[in-house]
Amino acid sequence: MPTPEITPANIIRLTVLQGQFKVSAGPRVELSTVLGSCVTTCLYDPLAEVGGMNHFLLAEPPASHDPVDVDVHYGVYLMEMLINEILSHGARKERLRAHLYGGANIRVGMAPIGTANANFARGFLERERIELVRADLGGNSARRVDFRPASGLVRCRVVPSSDAPEVTPQPRAAAHRGEVELF
Amino acid sequence: MTRTTRVLTVDDSASMRALLKHALANNGFEVSQADDGVSALEWLATNEVDVVITDINMPRLDGFGLIEQVRGGTRHRDRPILVLTTESSDEKKARARAAGATGWIVKPFDTDKLVAAVRRVAH
Repeated sequence: MPTPEITPANIIRLTVLQGQFKVSAGPRVELSTVLGSCVTTCLYDPLAEVGGMNHFLLAEPPASHDPVDVDVHYGVYLMEMLINEILSHGARKERLRAHLYGGANIRVGMAPIGTANANFARGFLERERIELVRADLGGNSARRVDFRPASGLVRCRVVPSSDAPEVTPQPRAAAHRGEVELF
Repeated sequence: MTRTTRVLTVDDSASMRALLKHALANNGFEVSQADDGVSALEWLATNEVDVVITDINMPRLDGFGLIEQVRGGTRHRDRPILVLTTESSDEKKARARAAGATGWIVKPFDTDKLVAAVRRVAH
């Protein structure tokens, strides 16, 4: 079936907020997010024409310049949620391609939480042997990322830092984390 | 003298396998790992184990299939099998229980809770 022409009038734009992920095979769908120190992973399978985007913050800004503590468990969980959802739409893990954006260190004098997020994301893709086709990480500017999950097309633009959402670590409900139910 | 508890973890994510190995080995367990249900069955054909921890969504043979095959076999049919998954639906949990799973643990896992569960089912 020929791909319908995508125009500003018929595009379906979905916003991905911090802590969220969205997956689609819709040829007219464009996933968008604005990031500061957070990182977005844009993952897609070019053969199955399906993909998805997440937007995560794994490290909380420490009060001092202490080394940033990345919540690796939470990061692996967020990545797995995105990958599983893409695979459930017919993608194959070995065909997945990735883009990474964000990880800026916007506020001078704060611990480099953007770098910590970016390093986690890069390391995760390496361990999972997912090809990283493009990355724009680090620096001190906010970014806006628009991703078409069915085609893998990405546009990343620098935007004023005031456009990036405040860094607000998600409550992770520690009491319920890893809940165990024995049958 | 008590013998070290042997745990087989089954997960297609190398990152998750690394987290599990670190958490379990640091708590005194002997850890072996497989990356999907087929690899797990191949390993189980020639090895002994006390507890199996398996993911659900995996290529080739998923966690449901693995549980069914272990329960339908002879060698390890009575071994405890804990499911460790991002899945949260009651339907999938019921399916795992019906297939013969011993317990259900949601990711991201908490090391203390995981270790306590493994010790409890391992006897």
